[in-house]
Amino acid sequence: MSNLTIALAGNPNAGKSTIFNALTGMHQHTGNWPGKTVELKSGAFSYQDTTIKLVDLPGTYSLAAFSPDEVVARDFIISAHPDVVICVVDATNLERNLYLAVQILELGVAVVIALNMADQAKALGINIDQSRLSELLGGVPIVPTAASKGVGIDQLLATAVEHGLQRVRSTHSAEVGNTTCQCATPGAFTIDYGDEIERAITGLSLAATQNNLPLNGYCSRWLVLKLLEGEDDIVKNVAALPNGDKITVEAVAEATRLESQFGDDLDILTADHRYSAISSINRQVSLRRTSTQATLTERIDTIVANRLLGLPVFLFVMYLVFRLVIDVSAPYVDWIDTVINGPLTAGITASLTRLGAAAWIQSLLIDGVVAGVGGVLTFVPGLIVLFLFLALLEDSGYMARAAFVMDRFMQRVGLHGKSVIPLMLGFGCAVPAVYATRTIANRRDRLLTALLVPFMSCAARLPVYLVFAMAFFGSKAGTVIWLLYLLGVIVAILVGLILSRFVLKPGENSAFVMELPPYRMPTINTLAIHTWEHTRQFIRNAGTVILAISILLWFLLNMPWGVSNQEDSYYGQISAAIAPLMQPAGFGSYETSGALITGFIAKEMVVSTLSQVYTGEDLATNARASTGSIGQELIGVVIGFAQATADSFRTLISLIPGVNLIKPGNTEETALSLAIRNNFTPLSAVAFLVFVLLYVPCMATIGAIKQEFGGRWAASAAVYQTVVAWLFAVLVFQGGRLLGIG
Amino acid sequence: MANNVLLSSLTPGQKGTIMLISGPGQIRRRYMEMGFVKGEVVQVKRLAPLGDPVEYQVKGYRVSLRQTDAARIEVTLCHGSEDE
Repeated sequence: MSNLTIALAGNPNAGKSTIFNALTGMHQHTGNWPGKTVELKSGAFSYQDTTIKLVDLPGTYSLAAFSPDEVVARDFIISAHPDVVICVVDATNLERNLYLAVQILELGVAVVIALNMADQAKALGINIDQSRLSELLGGVPIVPTAASKGVGIDQLLATAVEHGLQRVRSTHSAEVGNTTCQCATPGAFTIDYGDEIERAITGLSLAATQNNLPLNGYCSRWLVLKLLEGEDDIVKNVAALPNGDKITVEAVAEATRLESQFGDDLDILTADHRYSAISSINRQVSLRRTSTQATLTERIDTIVANRLLGLPVFLFVMYLVFRLVIDVSAPYVDWIDTVINGPLTAGITASLTRLGAAAWIQSLLIDGVVAGVGGVLTFVPGLIVLFLFLALLEDSGYMARAAFVMDRFMQRVGLHGKSVIPLMLGFGCAVPAVYATRTIANRRDRLLTALLVPFMSCAARLPVYLVFAMAFFGSKAGTVIWLLYLLGVIVAILVGLILSRFVLKPGENSAFVMELPPYRMPTINTLAIHTWEHTRQFIRNAGTVILAISILLWFLLNMPWGVSNQEDSYYGQISAAIAPLMQPAGFGSYETSGALITGFIAKEMVVSTLSQVYTGEDLATNARASTGSIGQELIGVVIGFAQATADSFRTLISLIPGVNLIKPGNTEETALSLAIRNNFTPLSAVAFLVFVLLYVPCMATIGAIKQEFGGRWAASAAVYQTVVAWLFAVLVFQGGRLLGIG
Repeated sequence: MANNVLLSSLTPGQKGTIMLISGPGQIRRRYMEMGFVKGEVVQVKRLAPLGDPVEYQVKGYRVSLRQTDAARIEVTLCHGSEDE
């Protein structure tokens, strides 16, 4: 039994995640790597006698330390010493993709190339001579794949494992420590940087050996080259080593000499050599018949990226996604709600009674656990639909068009077209959205985007809107919710303008270079995995954090022990202390303040807290009253699900203009909406929703911002968002009162 | 050399051969990584709805640049480039 760590690298859009998903299936998880704060997706599985850990590196165009993603990819290869790196190369775009492949080869690690989309390349009239390509790249194994169809995946894995085991064995037998990189072996792939630069490389390598510079697994040729190119972090690391400063000083001197001789930066000179080597390889291996017919991508883009239609299409797509999320999932939401509050609660109560559990345990489980976590689970259907559509937009290639179409606009706000993607993801969940800012190269653009992401109304806030909007606005609920989303966007624009004007001034060193990948039909497998991953994270959150908080909350509500009035409980006391602050916004009761406190931990908690404080007891009594055998209950559950599916289809068809199959007036009155109507006016409800929309989405988001940008920014984000939320809520309430509404 | 024009001045359909890329080293290297290399032919595909950025075809794939960034690249116009 042996272990292998395989890293998966490649350009964005080269099909890397499709290969990753095909190899790992559902067995993947996201986690931290020792010594690094970044999270990388990985999956473990066994192949024959080998346990394999496959790590998905961020998609990058290069290994130069330009964007954080590139640093992560490069550092992982250098410091985590994967046994093999699978480099995914898009055969339809060979030359540019080889740029990254060549850089990985230069690191001197074991590489296997997956020549992906081989089928599409052939269809485009591109023929690649694989054996010649392998030969020109120093004998690197090449496996043709068509990952979206599952072609070549088995062979890719077999080749990578074989290559990796070979490498492990040779390393063990050689045991020479420093010189185990492939660049030291004869016939390995190197780029000829021209006499002058090569002389400098040789000289410095010699100096490194003479000074016994510890290479720590670096390939010496690569290390010396990076020193010459003046790559900051490498220079710093080497300078810190014993005798290291001698080498770095010499490297700087050499680089300066060469730069004045050639009249350009050394990293530009080396990049130039690298590209001419690649061009020459490309000319030797690919045979291209230029096809004159307009590709499908071209035809789609004449509409989607059209000067007149581009923006309307973008807005329509956004609108459609959110209509679908709300309408398609609504019947399922009702169904889960019914199951949890009906059969499930009844079942638990019955078994507890049979076991003779004390009344307070029953209350803890039903009013605390089931009401809290169950309330959250009812939103799973909506999230599944949302995550599915976001994955569809991302994987199909539309997201890049959205960035293209919106860039000018984003630029006005001081952002980047690519900010559209994290911001759109923010409508799903702010946590992945904050991480998605990593695709933006410039730190200032990244930070600003991450600070604005929380204003995009995340899916967890939707339940709050739904409950309130249904209670007050009936058939106009959809419009109210749409307006809330819009308000979030408007506030983000305003705050963005202010921040980029006064706090985060735009830098000059950012270039907007964005690939517009060909449209591709996403595979069902990839869509399913992406959707499941995100949904699972949400459920896990509901199961752990929210469960713990639900229990804590139950205790706060019931302590000091035997408290009869909620207002006298610890929770009531804490909330009441905060309540006066909220008075100007129209919702100064201790119940609402309490819900907002728990909402800081996670937005899902707002509804469950309200439902617990307003109706917790009632719900439980109702459920306990419901009788019937288990068989009858189960039949009811199944029929309910079928009914929900039918309703959902009806809604879907009703989205076609002119068709309406939805029966009017079947909105059911829930205990919660009744309680809300008794405690809010329409105006204070809107002010409350505005506050919920704008204040910190959850602890996890603040955690993500801290992880990406440090504690200071995380704390500032939490404070400024709450202040903005308070200001707007007060503005809405006081403004509304002046206008005589509510 | 005399008839170099800025890439940003080309209109959709026009093609140019890259002659010179100016700007800070980091940005020039970024351009190179994305395929904007001296001697390479670039074609303007379309403008975004608000006039910026611009979609280009280079090395057989599509990429977009802002006008201000495209102004860092000098090209010589290729003639008869309206159709491909």
